[in-house]
Amino acid sequence: MRAAYPDESGQVERDGLKLGFEVFGHGDPTILLLPTWTIIHSRFWKMQIPYLSRYYRVISYDGPGNGRSDRVTDPARYSAESYAADAVAVLDACGVESAVVVGLSMGGQYGTRLAAFYPERVRGLALIGPALGLGDPLPERAGIVENFHRPYPEDPRGWDKYNLAYWHDHYQDFAEFFFGQIFVEAHSTKPIEDAVRWALEGGPAILEAEAARPRPQIPDSEIFTKIDCPVLVIHGIEDRIQPHQVGEEAARLSQGTLSSMIGSGHMPNVRDPVKVNLLLREFVERLGR
Amino acid sequence: MRAVYPDREDVVIRDGFEVHYEIYGDREPTLFLIPPSPITHSRIWKGLIPHLARHYRVLTLDGRGNGKSSRPTDPIAHSQEATLGDLVAVLDATNTSSAFVVAHCHANWWAVSLAAAHPERVEGLVAIEPGVPYLGRPQPHWVETAPHWDEILENPTGWQLNNRHAITTRHRDWVEFFFGEQLVEPHSTKQLEDAVSWALESTGEVLAAGEEGFELDFPDKETVEHMCRSLAVPTLTIHGERDICQHVERGKAFAEITDGELIILEGAGHLTPAREPVEVNLAIRRFVDKTRGKPMKSHVWPRGMNRKKRALFLSSPIGLGHARRDLAIAEELRAIEPGLEVDWLAQHPVTTALESAGERVHPASDWLASESGHIASEASGHELHCFQALRRMDEILVANFMVFQEVVEEGLYDLVIGDEAWDVDYYWHENPELKRTSNVWLTDFVGYLPMPDGGEHEAYLTADYNAEMIEHIARFPRIRDRAIFVGNPDDIYPAVFGPDLPKIRDWTEDHFSFSGYITGFTPPTPDRVEEWRAELGYDSEEKVCLVTVGGSGVGRALLEKVIRAYPLAKEKIPELRMVVVAGPRIDAESLPQHPGLELHGYVDRLYRHLAVCDLAVVQGGLTTTMELTAAQRPFLYFPLTNHFEQNFHVRHRLDQYGAGRHMDYRSTDPDQLAEAIATEVSRVVHYHPVESDGARRAARLIAELI
Repeated sequence: MRAAYPDESGQVERDGLKLGFEVFGHGDPTILLLPTWTIIHSRFWKMQIPYLSRYYRVISYDGPGNGRSDRVTDPARYSAESYAADAVAVLDACGVESAVVVGLSMGGQYGTRLAAFYPERVRGLALIGPALGLGDPLPERAGIVENFHRPYPEDPRGWDKYNLAYWHDHYQDFAEFFFGQIFVEAHSTKPIEDAVRWALEGGPAILEAEAARPRPQIPDSEIFTKIDCPVLVIHGIEDRIQPHQVGEEAARLSQGTLSSMIGSGHMPNVRDPVKVNLLLREFVERLGR
Repeated sequence: MRAVYPDREDVVIRDGFEVHYEIYGDREPTLFLIPPSPITHSRIWKGLIPHLARHYRVLTLDGRGNGKSSRPTDPIAHSQEATLGDLVAVLDATNTSSAFVVAHCHANWWAVSLAAAHPERVEGLVAIEPGVPYLGRPQPHWVETAPHWDEILENPTGWQLNNRHAITTRHRDWVEFFFGEQLVEPHSTKQLEDAVSWALESTGEVLAAGEEGFELDFPDKETVEHMCRSLAVPTLTIHGERDICQHVERGKAFAEITDGELIILEGAGHLTPAREPVEVNLAIRRFVDKTRGKPMKSHVWPRGMNRKKRALFLSSPIGLGHARRDLAIAEELRAIEPGLEVDWLAQHPVTTALESAGERVHPASDWLASESGHIASEASGHELHCFQALRRMDEILVANFMVFQEVVEEGLYDLVIGDEAWDVDYYWHENPELKRTSNVWLTDFVGYLPMPDGGEHEAYLTADYNAEMIEHIARFPRIRDRAIFVGNPDDIYPAVFGPDLPKIRDWTEDHFSFSGYITGFTPPTPDRVEEWRAELGYDSEEKVCLVTVGGSGVGRALLEKVIRAYPLAKEKIPELRMVVVAGPRIDAESLPQHPGLELHGYVDRLYRHLAVCDLAVVQGGLTTTMELTAAQRPFLYFPLTNHFEQNFHVRHRLDQYGAGRHMDYRSTDPDQLAEAIATEVSRVVHYHPVESDGARRAARLIAELI
């Protein structure tokens, strides 16, 4: 059973692709919870929706390739700009003029483009562990791009598994490894189980298409010059996917607020949901009237 | 002493009348606090200004007829038009282009008028117990008495005093009755005294003119409703549910018609800024910050299990003893719990001791209003009415509690240790939802006791304060996780808290743990006394008499009396060496001089000198007298006049140890004093020994909570 069920759910079609969305609650303003890397779907917001929807209207939706959205393998559908256009389509379908937008990890790519290209639709932008090219990658992840298409080693360890061939051969093992890196906090068995199960609803073919996505039109280092709305960045200091330095830089460039979480990894919204819920609420409440 | 003083004050002059205003703080936006006049003036905001001025620029005024403003007796001078003009003139004079307006009672009508006439100057309106007529429901006593305003009634009583003749001829009766009715909350003696005294700064003539002026140019119901409905600013209404001046239905109606927020304070009456200052402060801040869209502050949040253990120690600056004993407790605590981080929220003179001990004084300590300064300001001669001084410290306690609460909300502490932190103990009981950590309460006395000079009224007041404390602890046992009495059960003064209240000792034994006394230092063993004396420059032949009055600034009178006795005593005891230590607040140079008499301002580690002297002459403070007791030194002590703690609690405790010779300041002349010095100096004493493990015992009791 879920803690909250949507008051409304449906699919919106954009450019031939159907996206499943859910709407919870009726309050003002609207909170738009963006998808993240399509390895998982919108259920990763399950700790936020019951709380936030008691105060606000909350919309979540699945991005292309997972959940209740079409399993598309056209890389163009995974560009940051395409995600931003999807978000606009969801807002339009729900009759929402503007929303406070929340993105986790890759959601930071999508949310920044949404705020930059459709500023009138975004009242505030909250980024959790944003995946933005604003710093050096962690040393253990330094080789993942160049090794991605190579054969993987016989005895792959750690980030060796971030490899296209390995995904196709050992998808679940990769997912278990990957979410183990995300949940660095002790006693995280249940969050890892959840995430791996959601990952199995997608698959390696989807991730392969996503990996071939076009580069963003505006580089991450410049995107904040196009964003005027208030920004909150929440970033775990122990984040092993996107180093905390990225969040610091995003907060600096956006002149936003940085909430640094000592002991937290890449998905504090799951592992420290109470704190993240309260931060999001405070952010929304302080946006003014 | 006030908790804060204005950064700027001045008057605007309108129609020949002076209207006084004050500005506190300088952070945007401005909050314009408008008191209802002429019944009262800007001091009704005393519980709010210190807190709000740390976050905003606060502007307030005394309306015509009270405070530091003129006292017009012509009703026309109190019309809405006149008052509205004053408000605009004050905004102009202070270059305030716009402000959040906070108003009480009928001042809300002026606030509404200001927002309607000058919407660009009002960003938001906090309406406290709003008295905007026609809305909701009036209280029946106003309706019933209004038709008789101009009549001359025979012996009017109660609400009948709401009558021009009665108000002008029996002004005090009216304001005492009126505010007595309004303060429906138990234990409101201080708020009542304040309200009556502010009202009595004006006159019945002015008050009657104010009442008449208020209605002089009052529009009809439709106009008022239209004005309220058309207000273009956000509103917050705060209303005491038991208000019998402005019916709570009126507040509800105001919130509804302005489509604003409403906070009902259950159990509260008409004077919530005075009676519920913490909640009103917090509500105003939430409203202003939300309306303004104040951005969040960047911060670091450690996950629960990633946190170090942290304690916040509050050490009372009233009296000298707390700093040293609290340092001793902290040291013992860290011995039990080595990783424990201790921050101190403290003020002068405690901070001096803490800093020289290398302790971390929390930077917010700079925001604290001075309790020791207040106590010094309350003292004169050899007198300190300690109970009344504590009562008059009310606004300082609210101000400092608000600082404390911010520190505790941001600091992620596991534990608060309050050594006579009256503000925390009182306001956490009054606002128990604000408690964020475990909490230890430490004290060395329990129970306010009346001084005989205070008569029945003081006995009533001390019993009322004691009753409130007893009720607090009975209702919210969760606020004090541990209460530690610094002493032993026998040290508790044998009295009751008041009529129909328990015995102090019985109640204290039920509600406290006992640590024994905590000196914070170890006196020399008898075989080492000569060694200490030599180190300090006292030879074994001379009879060293130390005279000291502590650091609270009270004491010149005693020093002068002892100095007058010096030549007489010296005649009797030729080897007498008298050393007078004036302390940091009294200029030693300004004291009378005598050949052979030594005068010092400050003496480093005075307790070491006291520990080896041949006689000490001191006040009745607990710390110094117990240091002398622990060191087995003869001493004469003069409790401050009207200081209940020194006269009852400390004296009783010293009697338990058989220590010291009690002296009465008023009845002791220099001859008698010289005689007492001669008799007592070098007397071999055998006091009951003072325990030396008090700090460790206290630390063990505290450590169980972390």
